[in-house]
Amino acid sequence: MTFGGRARAVLLAAALAHGVAAAAEGAAEESAWNVARLMQELAKVKTSKGRFVERRYVGILTTPLESSGTLLYVAPDRLEKRTLSPRVESVLLEGEQLTLESGQPKRRRSIRLEDYPAVGVFVESIRSTLAGDLAALKRLFEIALEGDERKWRMVLKPTDRNMQELLSEIRVGGSRGTIHSIEFIEPNGDRSTMTITRDTP
Amino acid sequence: MTAGERWAVGAWLAFLAAGVWIVAHTTFTTDVSAFLPRSPTPEQQVLVEQLREGVVSRLVLVALEGTPPASLAQASKSMAAELRQDASFVSVENGDGSGAGADRDFLWRHRYLLSPAVSPERFSAAGLRERLEETLRLLDSPAGTLVRRVAPSDPTGELLQILEHLETQSRPATREGVWFSRDGRRALLLAQTRAPGYDVGAQEHAIARIQEAFSRADAGEAKLLLSGPGVFAARTRVAVRDDALRLSLIATALVAGLLFAVYRSGRLLALGLLPIASGALAGIAAVSLGFGSVHGITLGFGVTLIGEGVDYAIYLFTQAAGEGGPAALERIWPTLRLGVLTSICGFSAMLFSGFTGLAQLGLFSIVGLLVAVAVTRWVLPGMLPPTLDAPIVGTAGPWASAAARRAPSLRYPLLVLVAVVAVLLVTRGKHLWSEDLASLSPVPRADQALDEKMRGELGAPDVRFLIVIHAPEREAALQASEAIADGLREASQAGMLEGYESPADYLPSQKTQEARRQALPEPAQLRANLEKAVAGLPFRAKVFEPFLADAAAARSMPPVVRGDMQGTHLALRVDSLIARRAGGWAAMLPLRNVADAAGVARHLAAPPGAQAVLLDLKRESEELYHSYRAQALAYSLLGAAAIGALLIASLRSLRSVFAVLAPLVAAVLVTTGVLALAGASLSIFHLVGLLLVVAIGSNYSLLFDRRASSRSDRERTLVSLLLANATTVIGFGLLSFSRVPVLHDIGITVGLGTVLALVFSAILGRRHEHA
Repeated sequence: MTFGGRARAVLLAAALAHGVAAAAEGAAEESAWNVARLMQELAKVKTSKGRFVERRYVGILTTPLESSGTLLYVAPDRLEKRTLSPRVESVLLEGEQLTLESGQPKRRRSIRLEDYPAVGVFVESIRSTLAGDLAALKRLFEIALEGDERKWRMVLKPTDRNMQELLSEIRVGGSRGTIHSIEFIEPNGDRSTMTITRDTP
Repeated sequence: MTAGERWAVGAWLAFLAAGVWIVAHTTFTTDVSAFLPRSPTPEQQVLVEQLREGVVSRLVLVALEGTPPASLAQASKSMAAELRQDASFVSVENGDGSGAGADRDFLWRHRYLLSPAVSPERFSAAGLRERLEETLRLLDSPAGTLVRRVAPSDPTGELLQILEHLETQSRPATREGVWFSRDGRRALLLAQTRAPGYDVGAQEHAIARIQEAFSRADAGEAKLLLSGPGVFAARTRVAVRDDALRLSLIATALVAGLLFAVYRSGRLLALGLLPIASGALAGIAAVSLGFGSVHGITLGFGVTLIGEGVDYAIYLFTQAAGEGGPAALERIWPTLRLGVLTSICGFSAMLFSGFTGLAQLGLFSIVGLLVAVAVTRWVLPGMLPPTLDAPIVGTAGPWASAAARRAPSLRYPLLVLVAVVAVLLVTRGKHLWSEDLASLSPVPRADQALDEKMRGELGAPDVRFLIVIHAPEREAALQASEAIADGLREASQAGMLEGYESPADYLPSQKTQEARRQALPEPAQLRANLEKAVAGLPFRAKVFEPFLADAAAARSMPPVVRGDMQGTHLALRVDSLIARRAGGWAAMLPLRNVADAAGVARHLAAPPGAQAVLLDLKRESEELYHSYRAQALAYSLLGAAAIGALLIASLRSLRSVFAVLAPLVAAVLVTTGVLALAGASLSIFHLVGLLLVVAIGSNYSLLFDRRASSRSDRERTLVSLLLANATTVIGFGLLSFSRVPVLHDIGITVGLGTVLALVFSAILGRRHEHA
């Protein structure tokens, strides 16, 4: 059943994308602020840890859904989003493998990214952002950067038609090499906003 | 020509005419399953039927390799697009997601009839409340976007229920939007032909269409690999046809060349081929009458008859060169007759074996040999030229005679050799024999290996345990499948197996569908239940109107039937799991990761009117193979015993019998030893070959043991034996070049064994000295 598997896997990856965020500061450079500079800042982060609060605004609900937990990133390709409230749940990316685990009832499910090209594209974009790989990001998104070094916002719009059906845009906000928020906006108006607080090292 | 001879020739001509007429009206088959044992139990019969004509038999596995993934994917898409337009194929899948839409629509439309979770409790106020809370939870999970899309129409999550139930099937990896092997080197497609696997003509056509689509796909350097039952059937037919034709032509040319070199006479050459031609014609006619059709492999085996049938003419000609036809015939006829009878004893064992194919070979050989010897005995003498010369006797005779005189000095070395081989064979013990049913398949081993590899890459799990259900009607079979599935769920919870697949997963019985329909409350009641359930939850008002409408529609929806699934991949699955068969319907439930087969068997309880059996395919096929090997061994021993009895009755001297049999036993042992040392694990076909060594070799040792009347008689006998052996080796030796395992195995065994039988006859023969 391609439909269910793929759709869910895409969403899984989307959820993971919320975990892109926790990135640390890098030393400021004197040159002009642009996407290339931002990428350099992001690339300097080798490991980072933080807490997140996520709010999901869904059209069929009168109130947003809120969840919170922790994020952990280890360069180049390990990323873990652990939700602690309202339920224990985790999404883990390790290289090519994506694992979803839920606490109650305890269930575990792994997929290999190569089996789900759409997810592969998605995860690649997340990895590219974290790794500061501009070339890889440009293959998948149209990139716009607003603000300055101390307070910037990057808007990613998918160029692939299939991706556009799932996602209108991603808004990443931050300061220097640190990501403070990530917002996902879906074509039907649903959106989710994640704010990230970096743990002091 | 005497009156008797004229009568014989007339009868022979009439016989030939009848043979020609029968052969002209014969159907020739290349059914791959003819060389698989006939299946004794009804369950195995279901399997063999499925192998012959079920969905499994219609699958063509296609792989593309040799170029970068992007170009392979492009070729895969273009081939799939072209083949999907072709009426030869029911479906062509390559993982590009085509048809997924149809599947989803079908499941969505019928979700209330197909979901295993539908029950009255689920649609009560309490049940709905529980489902809505779950929906809320899912909205805040990675699956949120999908759930948000379907929740207004499906707040109880029936689609997810169905998908989760069906999704346990493993699928191939995907790259560039199509199926690929894990290592990314092969693009994979799966085609299902309209024609059953045994319809070789239609399969050949379908394969040709795939090859055309491939050549049009502009795949550059890419290579096309095909596998599957239909491909095997078509390929076997070509291999058998090619081998039969090629080997027969080569054998005829070689034997004719030999005859001409020896007798230097076109007339003798023609006469020498007469018994073979008559025998082959009669053999085919007999098989056609006895079996209704003739298998291609039987024709391939005809090659051996060329080698053996000409022996009788060689004995006659060589002896006649000395003293004229009739006198020579008088003298060698008793020995010749005994030789033919022992050969027939040997071939009879094949006649009674459980393999249609081998039985055909046996009948073909018996009738062929009888006719060949009869033509030699009654027709040829009248046609022989009055003076006949075999110059080779003059040249080779003294040499052969000298060699034969010196041969017995090798007696002790030979005994040592036989002892060593016997020890070797005993130490090999059980490892001597192949344990694999696949060794009986007429499909070349390399092709079998490729098929296994492609199946693995396509993610087709290796099914070992299977439940087979018989019922008179489809509905009864589906109901039984559901009842059995209840038991399997219990067994699964007890850890006895991981899971199962059932036709009722895709197509529930009408009874179950009706029960699910009844489980949906009246529209007004459902609305009231929902209102109660949704109170206090953050869902917007009126969000679930689509759900109320769909549930109301489902209450009056006609039950799903097989026809509703047309155009979906689910149809293919259903057809592969439930099929009409003689006397009713058979449903098959493949099981995954069975840990406790006996425990699972205890959980099987078929409702009245249906039978359910748990099949362990691995054990079943091993047992089948063992029982057939035991049977083949028993018939071979029986054949050998018959030969022994025949010899005792004819020779009336145990010493003579021993003299005739000792070289044969030695030849069988040494041949087996050589095959074992060469690394072959012996199949039933090798066993049959060994019996033929005894059957054919006995002719040599009989003639060797015959007391010659004079030195020249002795020399003629020796030369004729050498010639006869040469022709036999030509016939069987050529078979060993065949790609068809059955022909190759028998060919190599008999080719080697008969040479050894002749040499050992010389070494172990008694001395008959003449002045």
